[in-house]
Amino acid sequence: MVRESSGHARAVEAVKPALTSYKPARWREPALGLLLASPPVVVVLLLIALPAVQAALFSLGQVPQDNAAYSTGMHLVSSPTLTLAVYRDLLSSPFFRADIKLTAVVTVWSVVLTLLIGYVLSLYVRFASGRLPTAVRSLYLLPMFVPVVIASYALITFYVDRGQLQALLHAAGLGYKPVIYRATGIIIGQVWANIPFAVLMLGSGLDGIPQELVEAAQDVGASPWRILWRIVVPLNIVPALIVLTFTFIGVVGSFTIPFLLGPNAPQMLGVAMNAYFTSYQQPQAAAAMAVMAFLACAVAGGLYVWGTSRTGRTV
Amino acid sequence: MATFLPDPGSGHETTRLRRRTLLKVLSLAGGAAALSALLEACGGAATATTAPAATTASKTTAASTSAAGGAASTTASSTAASSSAASTSKASTTSAASSAASSGSATSSAASSSASAAGSPPAASGGPVKISFYSGGDVNVQDLWQNSLLPAYKKVAPNVSFDFVFSEHGTGDQGTFDRIAAAKQAGKPSGIDIWETGSLLSQGGAAGLIEKVTASNISNLSKCPQNMIDQINGYGVPYRGSSVILGYNSKMVSDPPKTLDALLAWIKKNPGQFTYCPPDTGGSGGAFVTRVLETGIADADLKFFQTDYDQAKESQWDKGWATLKDLNGSIYNNGFYPKGNVPVLQTMGKGSISVAPLWSDQALSYLQQNLLPPEVKLLQIDPPFYGGASWVGVLNDSQNKAAAYAFLNWLLTPDAQNVVIQKLNGYPGIDWKYMPDDVQKKYADIAKSYSIGFSSKFGNDLNKLWYEKVAGTPAPSKP
Repeated sequence: MVRESSGHARAVEAVKPALTSYKPARWREPALGLLLASPPVVVVLLLIALPAVQAALFSLGQVPQDNAAYSTGMHLVSSPTLTLAVYRDLLSSPFFRADIKLTAVVTVWSVVLTLLIGYVLSLYVRFASGRLPTAVRSLYLLPMFVPVVIASYALITFYVDRGQLQALLHAAGLGYKPVIYRATGIIIGQVWANIPFAVLMLGSGLDGIPQELVEAAQDVGASPWRILWRIVVPLNIVPALIVLTFTFIGVVGSFTIPFLLGPNAPQMLGVAMNAYFTSYQQPQAAAAMAVMAFLACAVAGGLYVWGTSRTGRTV
Repeated sequence: MATFLPDPGSGHETTRLRRRTLLKVLSLAGGAAALSALLEACGGAATATTAPAATTASKTTAASTSAAGGAASTTASSTAASSSAASTSKASTTSAASSAASSGSATSSAASSSASAAGSPPAASGGPVKISFYSGGDVNVQDLWQNSLLPAYKKVAPNVSFDFVFSEHGTGDQGTFDRIAAAKQAGKPSGIDIWETGSLLSQGGAAGLIEKVTASNISNLSKCPQNMIDQINGYGVPYRGSSVILGYNSKMVSDPPKTLDALLAWIKKNPGQFTYCPPDTGGSGGAFVTRVLETGIADADLKFFQTDYDQAKESQWDKGWATLKDLNGSIYNNGFYPKGNVPVLQTMGKGSISVAPLWSDQALSYLQQNLLPPEVKLLQIDPPFYGGASWVGVLNDSQNKAAAYAFLNWLLTPDAQNVVIQKLNGYPGIDWKYMPDDVQKKYADIAKSYSIGFSSKFGNDLNKLWYEKVAGTPAPSKP
């Protein structure tokens, strides 16, 4: 998908000069283009943008009386004017702040570890030769084909107390403290689930780095580290950016992994959102959290757009 | 590719134009696709996923769904628009078609249903009636309806057929609710006649979507314990029940605690051997929490907690919260509460814990399937944990009310109730005393009274407070 969009950027570049020289004398064909593009836009507007706007207004104190799922919620803040009371209440709660903190910690760790491990794997697959890299190439794709629920349960049975890892360690005479049902468990799950995308992205970026550049650097005596820092990383910055943003967006809003592998409390944003919506019947607070998550994702999305629009210029 | 095309002279301009347009369209579409993917990723955060609900609410009987302390009904939370769109109407057409036909028979069957007092349903005269029935729960509930109760009713009332729509683990319930609400708003029939779900019934009742059931409509309702009907504010027929009991491993625990105080003392004395699920993930944990919270509630207020709501009264819970927080260090795995009734059963099954509150029906089923070791025994403590009912409500805009009432009345007959007990290891919805003697005797062990949980609104607050006061970080003093 990302490749498509960088292709798209290139297409825009290609069309640009033509566009400036061309004065639209006829409206029919541009209109046809718009029409062809409209179905996805309409779907996005109706099913995502519209409810999102309503939810945002709801979180600002505008309770829609015609939406029973909202108006029958508990502890509603209803105000004739826009108010930030819901956000104020949420952010003043030490428990919710703990939720935010956990979300931030897990997200940062997951993104960093995913990027790091993904980079090492893709470098290995790109530059090493032999049978092992080929095996690794197919192994790292594995998580992509295992549904995340199943993967989570697999991780649980492996890491849980009286689980397989403990049995192994016990046989070796070692003690074990379970790593799941805490932040560590969520991070393990997130990294596991995000590795394939990261390696695919970074790997395709690395494939695009001309071998001659690397060899030329080697010829003039650059060390492998120098080649990595001065050639590989800078040339591969956009895929890294994409991995960063997409992992960020995925982890911030994730539900399954933190629900299954995380602690009872604090909870990550996705889990807390669900709890507020269904278990506490407080849809307004849930909507406010959704808005916050959306804003966080929008920042990451902005980074993504900025990163991919650079592709057109640098490549 | 266009570059290889021969340049056709005068057509030159057109070709270039086409190319340009094509590129423009492609780039627009590409941009839109990227945008929608991005929004979806963000929207994924906003609309909680539906998939995990299946794993969470792995509750064998939706019986526990309760209003009471928020048992298992994990409903998929989704924004109104998307979910109502997702649950595209399946039943609307059928009911619209049958409504005309049924209106004639409806009046006559209503008359005959009041005539047949004992609840033998009217051999309804008139044309065929199709009742649109939305239900939810675990697969055993689906099995109960599709393979036992509905075929049995077909024999009693051959002219009545069902459009049975089942939502596993109730994941579609919120969508159904949104759809009913949307139909009312649009002034159109929702196409749903009866609905089995949990607290959404009373929520829908408050919003004018669900009809109150009374003994004048459904005569057998008088046989149901009144508090079971009150618990849902009268917006549903309690057709089956289940109770939370204490499960213990008799190999590890020779002298099990039989009272609440003894249980609390036992937990402190045997750290790591007990756990329960967070109250919002399963009723078995909810029952334990409710029972402990009740130690601080004045007797005079207990009924209020079960049927009403006033946030100010929640200060009476403080004593219970302190007790539960104090237990935290003695809970399994340094204070881990498995998320759901089934995870608790599994923790017990693998021998990590030796005592836990369990749903009677689930525990019995697990014992039958050898998923729990045979040493696990069940008992009810004193005072008892709560039990819960599962309700079927009638929609306000149903076009087949008379037929629905007749069906629900039949559901509360001993015959139908017996099927429920047999199939689900559950409790009947009607009082045990209305069941045949042999059935009463056979289930003497579990055929005991149970207490009632809190009203759904109190239950919602309880869920939140539990996370904050028991599982959460030590709370700094709050204003």
